Amino acid sequence: MRTLCVWFPEWPLMVLDGTGPGYVYEEGHAAGGETQRVAAVNAQASKLGVAKGMGRRAAEALCPIAESKPRDFGIETRLFEPMLIALEDLIPRVEVVEPGLVLVAVEGALRYYGGEDVLVAKVESIAGPKARIGSADGPFAARWAAITAAEGSQVIDNDIAFLASLDISAVGREEMIDTFRWLGLNTLGALAGLPREAVASRFGDEGLWAHHLASGEDRSINPRTIPPHLAVEAHYDDPLENLDQVAFSARALSARLMNGLRKEGLAPYRVEIEAESGMGKVRTRVWRSTDPFLEPTLTERVWWQLRAWIEQEGVAGGLVRLRLDPSDLSGAGRQLALLEAVGEGWEGYDSTRPEAERALARAQALVGPDAVLQAGRQGGRMPAEQVRWFRFGEEPGQLERDLEAPWPGATPGPAPSLVPPQPTPIDIEWDEGMPTRIRLGSRWEPVLNWAGPWRLLGRWWRGEGAGDRYQIVTSAGAFLIVTDGERSFLAAIYD
Amino acid sequence: MLAERAVERIPSLALSPGKIVGLEGPAGWGLTRLGLSLLAAPSQVGTVVTIDARGGWLSPLAAWEVGVKPGRLVMVRCADRRLWGQVTAAILEGVAAVYAEVPAGVGEHELRRLAALTRARKVGLALRPLRGQLPAGITHLRIYGRGVSWEGADQGHGRLLERRLALEVSGKSLPWQAFDLGA
Repeated sequence: MRTLCVWFPEWPLMVLDGTGPGYVYEEGHAAGGETQRVAAVNAQASKLGVAKGMGRRAAEALCPIAESKPRDFGIETRLFEPMLIALEDLIPRVEVVEPGLVLVAVEGALRYYGGEDVLVAKVESIAGPKARIGSADGPFAARWAAITAAEGSQVIDNDIAFLASLDISAVGREEMIDTFRWLGLNTLGALAGLPREAVASRFGDEGLWAHHLASGEDRSINPRTIPPHLAVEAHYDDPLENLDQVAFSARALSARLMNGLRKEGLAPYRVEIEAESGMGKVRTRVWRSTDPFLEPTLTERVWWQLRAWIEQEGVAGGLVRLRLDPSDLSGAGRQLALLEAVGEGWEGYDSTRPEAERALARAQALVGPDAVLQAGRQGGRMPAEQVRWFRFGEEPGQLERDLEAPWPGATPGPAPSLVPPQPTPIDIEWDEGMPTRIRLGSRWEPVLNWAGPWRLLGRWWRGEGAGDRYQIVTSAGAFLIVTDGERSFLAAIYD
Repeated sequence: MLAERAVERIPSLALSPGKIVGLEGPAGWGLTRLGLSLLAAPSQVGTVVTIDARGGWLSPLAAWEVGVKPGRLVMVRCADRRLWGQVTAAILEGVAAVYAEVPAGVGEHELRRLAALTRARKVGLALRPLRGQLPAGITHLRIYGRGVSWEGADQGHGRLLERRLALEVSGKSLPWQAFDLGA
């Protein structure tokens, strides 16, 4: 399928503020064991010796006056959105690989505009002089056409011939590339010249995939149909208006999509993100990956896109619906190795439950099942009584105290956040029935104020005596105290 | 309640995926409830976990009151500092957000390892050291409790109603600021 790639090599530099030398760095392996490397560099810094892929420390040493910033995909995506809208006015269904890099199938557009030269010229006029444009029969070749275009555009008529001249590193698998070079395979053409069976036998699925790329076949030779039930959608009765809620929704929905796909042994190369605002406006954007999406990479892209929409124009009325529709699914290759047993999920729980369940099961193995707990509310007068604990993964069991009963004399006020498992003895000084000092550790704190007492009648048939409850305020905080006239106990801390 | 207002009023006070918030100060100065309130937003869409390093003191009542969904809240108890790192790491692998009390004696190296895992797994993490301070550079936002005062109790009358927290806040790309929050 004829594919156009538009690439802005300097797009990551959009986050720089100044006009002097500057570069953007990202997490990744660089020489010398550094974990931060230069991702993009402007012309002035480049003249001073800073180069893409270099470690950040080395870049700082070469050019200490340069402005350096971490790569921020969120900002890049937001700034890229107007460009995408402009490109979509020209050609529909633009697919974003990352901010600054798009692929678009142009079969229909070529017919509409009457030829490739016309279309490329139109794209150039929109994208401007900093864009590199490549056109080829597949996305891999189109991308490399853009990368290798000296300036402007490069149209490839014969993908196989073009790819044959590329260096073997174009396949992008560092561990395999070293072996290819050791075998004397320095170009994609040399790799494509080998029998496919031999490559598959020696290098497995990854080698097979590289051979397909080198042969100009890309992976579109075997497109999968898209089972419609694999799309996931979430409706929000309370529209999501703040970015944190949106971020967690993006994560949860991405996890749900990937869990569903994993069960089918599938991974998507493209995902359409559709969001609906409370005012009824629906927006869609397609993201594409050269590797199949994994849960973290998909989550990131959904989040970047939603943030770009929100920060660029806002989502009037909040986000009420989010849909992720996978397309271009592949069941072949290394993503099959990602198949793992996914539990059935528990009713009434969130989409991330299988992951959470595994994580908490590991915690249970470490600390024991009695230390990984869930809780439900039940009736009672004291904070400790109002919680019904049960082990994670087990049924809640019977209520010990009826939640619906009136419980007159229940402790008033806000719920305390710290409640000792057993009331803890504590020293309090009293003056004519009024608390004056409370001992916290080794020091005595004056009581600044107090409320109560509230009478607590013990269950005499169980040998419990009566007591009085006080809320005591000191400069070190507020405490719930129970006293039986002789001894006092700490029942809760309002921390 | 004040904890929720603090979330609205302090810039950047939220648990975002991959971000770490530190809450430092003695028990009683309101940081536990503030920390639990950070789990409210992520609990709307995923599992949230508290790690109790005090031996079972952490109560879900306050968490529910500040908006954490009861069905999404799991409370883990681990006061053993030798196990704490492993348990926290295991939990970070699969949940949306974590409020973790840090027992005394957990090493800086272990905290940095957990911080890296938090970023890699895109989990929201609130760390509440029970003693001392968190090492520099692992949190995106640090909140220091500087005091608390309560309203509502009046020499035996009334009841606790509202509190006022004195906080100091600092963080990455956020200058140091002091807040006095209350009704």
